[in-house]
Amino acid sequence: MTGVGWRCVEAAASLLEEREREAVLGDLAEAEESVWRGMADVVGLAIRRQAAPWRSWRPWAAGFALAWPGSLFLMGLSLSVSHGIRRWMDAAFSSGASSSAQDLPILLLHILLLTAGAWTAGVVLGAVSRRTLWVSIFLCCLPCTYCMAEFPSGVLQSLCLFLFLVPAFWGVRLGLRGVRLRRDFAVILAVGLTLAALPVWRSGASLFWSAAMIWPGWYLAASGRSRSEKHI
Amino acid sequence: MLGEFEYLILTAAAGLGDKAYGAAIREEIEAATGRKCSLGALYTTLDRLEGKGLLETWMGEATAKRGGRSKRMVRVTGDGAKAAKGFYDSVMRISRGVAWVADKSGGAR
Repeated sequence: MTGVGWRCVEAAASLLEEREREAVLGDLAEAEESVWRGMADVVGLAIRRQAAPWRSWRPWAAGFALAWPGSLFLMGLSLSVSHGIRRWMDAAFSSGASSSAQDLPILLLHILLLTAGAWTAGVVLGAVSRRTLWVSIFLCCLPCTYCMAEFPSGVLQSLCLFLFLVPAFWGVRLGLRGVRLRRDFAVILAVGLTLAALPVWRSGASLFWSAAMIWPGWYLAASGRSRSEKHI
Repeated sequence: MLGEFEYLILTAAAGLGDKAYGAAIREEIEAATGRKCSLGALYTTLDRLEGKGLLETWMGEATAKRGGRSKRMVRVTGDGAKAAKGFYDSVMRISRGVAWVADKSGGAR
């Protein structure tokens, strides 16, 4: 297995897991296959491996019912929070403490909703689509890229769209580690997010967008651990 | 019930015994069927059979012939042998009396 052709086969084999790469490249070397057949075998296996998780509902739900609509929803919330912070700071430094104190509870509620919503979505994304996380990330980036292209009004303002990414990545890390929330905590989270998302739905947003905020909480509640179960 | 390819893999692995691994199983299947067997189909089916508990796999020794790379060794379990026998018996039962079985010369009448 020498030459440029086999280097390409070995590069393609990096798409496979380490043990499988070892076995497949060994089999090809032992059978003294041609470069073309070797490449077809490796690429064919890699495609089968990548396609396998898509037979389940999980990556579809994670990508198209959570990452894509959820990122749009959370971007809007990020923008609202960043504007709220700016308004509150303007009020605090110009009009005095009384008007800024009036806005503070709503601002804190929005921050709480943004953090809880993004974190919950992240946990579910990590738990539900481990092997297809890159597709979910891509689908999450699509609306982000569109918004950055559509509203190119300074780096700082663009970054305001992505406040949700910090709690979301934190959640994804937990989800990938297979962390299960306590059921009572998860139910409180789910009820809170549902109550927060309902006004958005009633204000004209379709159920599809609101559902992206609602179902992750209930998924965590359904898959949560009871008090007697040990933490995983 | 097993699929045809699953049966071929189980039977080839059982026939090879301690020497059953990816490349050897593929060679057996290609020799028996006269058809090309892709490594993609072989390894994904090995995983499926292992998931069903019909065979076990583990990483074996590395040889110079393989460029110093390990083999994925395969062993058929008791359940695997039972499933393969069930498939074989079904094929034998349903084939009784059909033209290509009755005609030992191999041609259809």
